[in-house]
Amino acid sequence: MMGLELANLFNLLNYWAKSSYLCRMYLQSIRLTQFKNYGQRKFDFNARFNVVTGHNGVGKTNLLDAIYVLCMTKSFFGGTDRNIIRKETDFARLAGIFRMEGGMKQMDVVAKVIKQKKKTFEVNGKVYDRLLEHVGRLPVVMIAPDDTLIATGGSEERRKFADNTLSQKNPAYLSALVRYNRLLKQRNALLKSKSGWLDMNLLQSYNDQLLEPAEYIFSARKAWTDALTPLFNEYYSLISGAREEVSIAYKSPLSQDAFSVLLDKSLEKDKILERTTVGIHRDDFVFFMEEMPLKRFASQGQRKSFVIALKLAQYQFLAQASPELPILLMDDIFDKLDRERVANLVEVIGESGFGQVFITDTHPTRVSELLDIPHQVIDID
Amino acid sequence: MANKSKLFDDAVASLTSLPGIGKRSATRLVLHFLSRPQEEAIDFVQTIENLVKNIKYCKKCHSIADDEICPVCASAKRDQSFLCIVESVRDVMAIEETGQFRGVYHVLGGIISPIEGIGPEDLNIETLKSRLQEDGIKEVLMAISPTIEGETTIYYLSQIIAPLGISVSTISRGVSFGGELEYTDEVTLGRSILARLPYNIDKE
Repeated sequence: MMGLELANLFNLLNYWAKSSYLCRMYLQSIRLTQFKNYGQRKFDFNARFNVVTGHNGVGKTNLLDAIYVLCMTKSFFGGTDRNIIRKETDFARLAGIFRMEGGMKQMDVVAKVIKQKKKTFEVNGKVYDRLLEHVGRLPVVMIAPDDTLIATGGSEERRKFADNTLSQKNPAYLSALVRYNRLLKQRNALLKSKSGWLDMNLLQSYNDQLLEPAEYIFSARKAWTDALTPLFNEYYSLISGAREEVSIAYKSPLSQDAFSVLLDKSLEKDKILERTTVGIHRDDFVFFMEEMPLKRFASQGQRKSFVIALKLAQYQFLAQASPELPILLMDDIFDKLDRERVANLVEVIGESGFGQVFITDTHPTRVSELLDIPHQVIDID
Repeated sequence: MANKSKLFDDAVASLTSLPGIGKRSATRLVLHFLSRPQEEAIDFVQTIENLVKNIKYCKKCHSIADDEICPVCASAKRDQSFLCIVESVRDVMAIEETGQFRGVYHVLGGIISPIEGIGPEDLNIETLKSRLQEDGIKEVLMAISPTIEGETTIYYLSQIIAPLGISVSTISRGVSFGGELEYTDEVTLGRSILARLPYNIDKE
């Protein structure tokens, strides 16, 4: 009896810890000026659940992307910064008020994108010298219809997913990545510029400098793959209701041999192809379902559940690494999911391990009917 | 919108070709020249003409000079065995301004960046090699910006210099003087900790 009570007490404490302490980072309001299709618009949000409804093309996805920009300093959908400025105008401004429990109580984040000028980000009036300092302060996870590309697309999609997670978790990862990419670009330019004679000393300078960031990224990606797999399995079975075992394997040339050795071995090949053919920029992650590669096997519905589970695992991974619960953005995810899976998903994100959630849906009441906790409906129409 | 005078417009146009000068500033400057005695503007132009026609680059260090050898390289008061390698003439000026360096310079004329099409052969490295061998250099100080391209240049040069038995150092990088830790970015602060300095009470 005593043991049971203690266990209950522990669960309760755990619940409090997550819900009353961790769950406190949220976006209170956002003000958009000439961002994508918006002219001038302000939204106030619920600290927990927000359902964004409206017809196609009114800007539901853009609203989620605006939140993403404030957290990550760039659009989820990539492209140049100019694309976030409303057509036929010269600048865009986004201002969000984030509330949190620990440290700074309130973060006023303002992003300004002006044509032909550098994009600026400021927090409580202080402008960042380097944008990458902002990444990770406001953790965020976006679940979007295009996500199935992580499973079916090229290896670049999967590296992007890994980099997005690890950059938010640790600023040093993003620094290492920026450094690696810059050195790689220089090394490739060197290989390209000299078709006849190659300055081996200079090549060696790049090789040696690449080692440190490459090893750092390699070990971070490896540790991440291991940490993600159990979370991923848990969410996959919760959403799909299925028992299939899912897993992720990290494939990197660096697990075969030391990077310096690999670079030496591939020298002749690099010279001929005029680019660097080995390194962490060639890494891949392979997904398995019941020990079969996912790419070939799963059905569309399975893939969809698979990728959503992957994103939820990313969410929990970030939640464990950060004092704040990340913001979860879910764009149009009910497409291609049957009713049962939708209900499972809504139940999962309604649990205490999740913080502020934004969901878009063209259907005005579908999500509301499934949600039994207080939430706010934002109708953009 | 054209002004009435083509002469005026031409003067404005040539001034706007200067860095940091827009059309508005250029117009103000031209009007200023016109409001002053003619001799002032003529003097001004002659000074510039003199500069571009007569300036030389020091045969040893490649910094600007009035003669074949610059005053620093010619000075008996400077330590000719202590060589500071910099990217540009501007860096020489910045370091001279500090009054802390008593050695001599070598201006590379750029840093290695294959993306920009700049390789080692485009920099003053051949003259550097001969100076290292002939001038009795004992120590080399690399005063090059700690960017990726700067680091690559330092690394590349070190590969050449180290086998000659000459000691190589770089200017220290880290928390700026009068700066606050709290506002220092993680990379800088992290490196400052790795490259920490022994603290000496007797230090001036």
